[in-house]
Amino acid sequence: MTDTPLDELGPVDYVVVEFPAGAKNFTGEMAAELLKLVDAGTIRVIDVLILDKNEDGSVDATELSDIEQLGEMETIEAELAELLAAEDVDHLAAAMDPGSTAGVLIYENLWAAPFASAARRSGGQLIANGRIPIQAIIASIEADPVGATTEGD
Amino acid sequence: MPLRPARRGRVGVIGHPVAKTAVVARAVTPGRAPVAKTAVVAAAVTPGRGGRRRRI
Repeated sequence: MTDTPLDELGPVDYVVVEFPAGAKNFTGEMAAELLKLVDAGTIRVIDVLILDKNEDGSVDATELSDIEQLGEMETIEAELAELLAAEDVDHLAAAMDPGSTAGVLIYENLWAAPFASAARRSGGQLIANGRIPIQAIIASIEADPVGATTEGD
Repeated sequence: MPLRPARRGRVGVIGHPVAKTAVVARAVTPGRAPVAKTAVVAAAVTPGRGGRRRRI
């Protein structure tokens, strides 16, 4: 585990990936791709939880360490910081549908850490961030009359 | 399965119930809502974690 000084910490994000009831098809592909990102130094995984939301709305949380046969994910499990608190489980599960399973991933964007550090040292402070859906970008390009007419010319 | 004891009794980091992101099946035109300013955290905040340094 690295003890990264807070001033050098990259942006930390979370994602909740929901698998609706009956739509789970775990092949190990996700773990393999996650490991690639870690091995490449793109991200550092800080915490992982598996949540199951029951039909009555109650939530069961599973630690990664409680999963048998983690395989290569064992290297990630050994580095987890257990950042999420119990109350976070309820907050995150609020987005889930009953009967679904979700993977919660907390990660540091290592690729952005040097820039974020430099921005802080320069007196900058993050005032907004977000993610633009690919669908919105496609829609914007398609709605642009210039882009639409020049494409393919 | 129970959460690890270290996760209990601490203040969380998410802060509020999370709303489900709209699952977009096709291209849509985004709204023109102005961007709201993110709350700026002036200093390293360790809510409810008196004295214990966590490794993150």
